[in-house]
Amino acid sequence: MTAQHADASFGGATRYILDEELAQIVNISMALEMPLLLKGEPGTGKTMLAHAIAESLNMPLIVLNVKSSMKLVEGLYQYDTLTRLNDSRFGDSQRNVSDIEEYIKMGKIGQAFAADKRTVLLIDEIDKADTDFQDDMLDVLDQMEFDIIEVDKTVSARHRPVIIITSNAKKDLSDPFLGRCNFHHIAFPDPKMMRKIIGVHFPSIHDELAENAIAAFYRMRDLEAVEKRPATRELINWIRALDADPDFKPKRLTKGDLPFLGVLFKKSGDYERASTFVNRRKIF
Amino acid sequence: MFLAFFYKLKEVGVPVSPTAFLTLHRALANHLIATLDEFYTASRSILVKSERYFDLFDQVFAYHFQGIELPDVEGLEIDEMARAMLEQWLTDPKVMADALGIDEKQLNRMTPEELIAYFKERLKEQDGRHDGGNKWIGTGGTSPVGHSGYHPGGMRVGGVSRNKSAVKVAMDRRYKDYSLSGPLTQAMVGEALKRLRNMVPAGPKDQLNIDESIYRTMKNAGEIEIAFDRRMKDRLKVILAIDNGGWSMEPYVTVVQTLFDYARAQFKEVRTFFFHNTIYNTLWKDSARYRQPVTMTELVGMDPETRFIVVGDASMAPYELMSRDGSIYVQDRSGKPSIECLRMLAHTFPHNAWLNPASAIMWNYTRTINMIRQIYPMFELSIDGLEKAVQHLMAA
Repeated sequence: MTAQHADASFGGATRYILDEELAQIVNISMALEMPLLLKGEPGTGKTMLAHAIAESLNMPLIVLNVKSSMKLVEGLYQYDTLTRLNDSRFGDSQRNVSDIEEYIKMGKIGQAFAADKRTVLLIDEIDKADTDFQDDMLDVLDQMEFDIIEVDKTVSARHRPVIIITSNAKKDLSDPFLGRCNFHHIAFPDPKMMRKIIGVHFPSIHDELAENAIAAFYRMRDLEAVEKRPATRELINWIRALDADPDFKPKRLTKGDLPFLGVLFKKSGDYERASTFVNRRKIF
Repeated sequence: MFLAFFYKLKEVGVPVSPTAFLTLHRALANHLIATLDEFYTASRSILVKSERYFDLFDQVFAYHFQGIELPDVEGLEIDEMARAMLEQWLTDPKVMADALGIDEKQLNRMTPEELIAYFKERLKEQDGRHDGGNKWIGTGGTSPVGHSGYHPGGMRVGGVSRNKSAVKVAMDRRYKDYSLSGPLTQAMVGEALKRLRNMVPAGPKDQLNIDESIYRTMKNAGEIEIAFDRRMKDRLKVILAIDNGGWSMEPYVTVVQTLFDYARAQFKEVRTFFFHNTIYNTLWKDSARYRQPVTMTELVGMDPETRFIVVGDASMAPYELMSRDGSIYVQDRSGKPSIECLRMLAHTFPHNAWLNPASAIMWNYTRTINMIRQIYPMFELSIDGLEKAVQHLMAA
C-alpha cells in the first residue's frame, strides 16, 4: 500500500467541493497511514468527506455509526451467544454448534480489516461513546489488528483502511487518542465556497437565485441567539423549495422577503425569532 | 529540523508531543511536503490536536517563518486600556481629565491618535501594569463597575476592553474565534456544558442485559433466563439564575444569552430565573422580573441535588448586599440582607457555582465580588472557566 501512487491521491468528488487545505491533509494522512480526525459545526461536510474519498478513489466505504452505549467489541466482532445457546437447546439450524466461529460476525471495523481491497472506514461521531471506547481503539489503530478471544484468532488488516473519524466535541477525546490521529477542524464555508457547493448540487441553477439565496442565508445565520443555526443542508433544501415554487422571483430575496423560513429554522422559537426579524425588515 | 519551531510552540502553550513531531519528520522524509504551504497544513494537522490552538499555531508559524512578531501580552493590555480610556474620554471628558489630573482643555486639543499615545504614556508610567488600584482609575472603595444605571463616575476599564482585541497580526488568524481566549460561541458553551451530565438508571426494566442473562442461564444449567435492566437516563436538574438587569451586565448580555439558549437545549430539566444585581427574597421566572416571582421558600423546597448556577457580575454597591433594606427596589423589603439569602441558597443547593462574565483578574478590585466569592465558588464565564465550573459541579 504505497500511497505515493499518483492515482491514489484525493482531489474531490462529484458532489463534494473540497478546499485545497483539506485535500492536502487527507493526502498526507493517507500517506502516513494515520487516521484523520475531523471536527467542525454540523453541516460542514465531515461525514460527506469520507463518502467523497471513497467515491473518488473508488474504494468501498464502511461506516461505523458510534452510539452512546457502544463498546468497541461491537465494532470489531460479535459473538452471537444467544443464537448458539438457542441452537444448542433446540438444534434446528444448519450451523455446527461446536464450531464457535460460525457464531462470530464481523463488526464494521472487522469488515474493513478483512476486506480484499483497501477501504475507507468512517467512524462517525466518536465522541458519543465513552472514553473507554477510544482507549480500547488505540491499540487496534496502532497495531491494525485485534483478537477474537473466543476462538483465539487474530484478525489483522489486510490493507490498512483510510480511517476518517468525526467528532462533534460532545466530549473531549483523550490525549493518547489524539496523538495517534491527524487533526483538522472544518470551518463553516464562506459565501464564495458556498456558491460552489450550491453549484455542485444544482448544476443548472440560476445565478441570481443562488447568489441572493446565499446572501440571505448568511444574513439569517448571523441572527443572534438562535438555538440551531441553519447549515449547508438547510440551505440546499431551502433553495430546492424556492426553485420549486413557480411564483417565486429571486429579486424578492434582496428586498428581505424570505418565504419558507421553516426550512431554515426548525425550532419553533428560532422560527418565530427569524420571522419577526424578517417582518421588521420588510416594514422599513 | 524545525526544532526551534517545535519548542516555540511548546513555549507559547500549544500542547505538542514529540511523537507528533517525529510523525511530521516522517512526512518530510517521505517527500510528502514540498512547499511552505504544505508544511503549514501538514504540521498543523499533525502537531495541533484542537482547533482552540489553531490561532496560537498561526501566530507562531507567522513568527517563525515570516518573522512577524509575536504580540507581547503587556503591550496588548496597554493597547486595550488606552482604548478603553479613549472611549471613556469620549463619553465623559471631564471625569477623565480629573482622573488624570490634567486640564480638560489641554486634552481637548489633542487628536484621537495623540490621546491614545498620551494615555499609553501615562499607563506605562505606572509601576504595576494596569490595576484598578492605580489612583486615577477611581475605585475609591466603591464598585468601579457601577450599579443600577447611574454610576457614571466608575471606570469600566476591565469590563469593556477584555472582550475586544487590539492585536494586529500580519496573518489572517482565521481561528481566533476558536482559541481559548476568544469570545464564547454557542458551540463552545455546548462543549463545556455537555460534560454536565449525570446518568442514572430510570424507567421500566426494558433493556436486555445479555451478560447477566448468560450468567443466569448457566447457573440454571441451561434453562434460559433473561435479565433486564433499566435504561440510563440523565436526571440532572439545573437551576440557572441570571442577572439580567442594570447596565453593569449589559456588555455580557449576548454571552449570557448564548449560555441560556444552550442550556435550554441541553438539559431535561433546567429552570431559569432572573434577578438584578443580587438575590433578595425572590427570583423571577420572567425576564422582565415582574410577573412571575418565585419566593425563597419555594426554592428551599426543591431537590437539593439540583445544580445551582448563578450568572452575574456580582458587582454592586456594598450596601445592596449587606444592608437589611439594601434592595434597590422599594417593593423588596424582606428584612434580610441579600447576603443571607445567598448563603441560604448555597446551603440548600450544595452543588453550586457562580459564573462571572467579568475577567478574573479584575475580581479583586470589587468588594462585593470578594464577599460573594466566599460563599460561592466563582468561575470566569469563558470556556476555561465554564469547564472548571462544570468539573466542580460534577465532583461528588
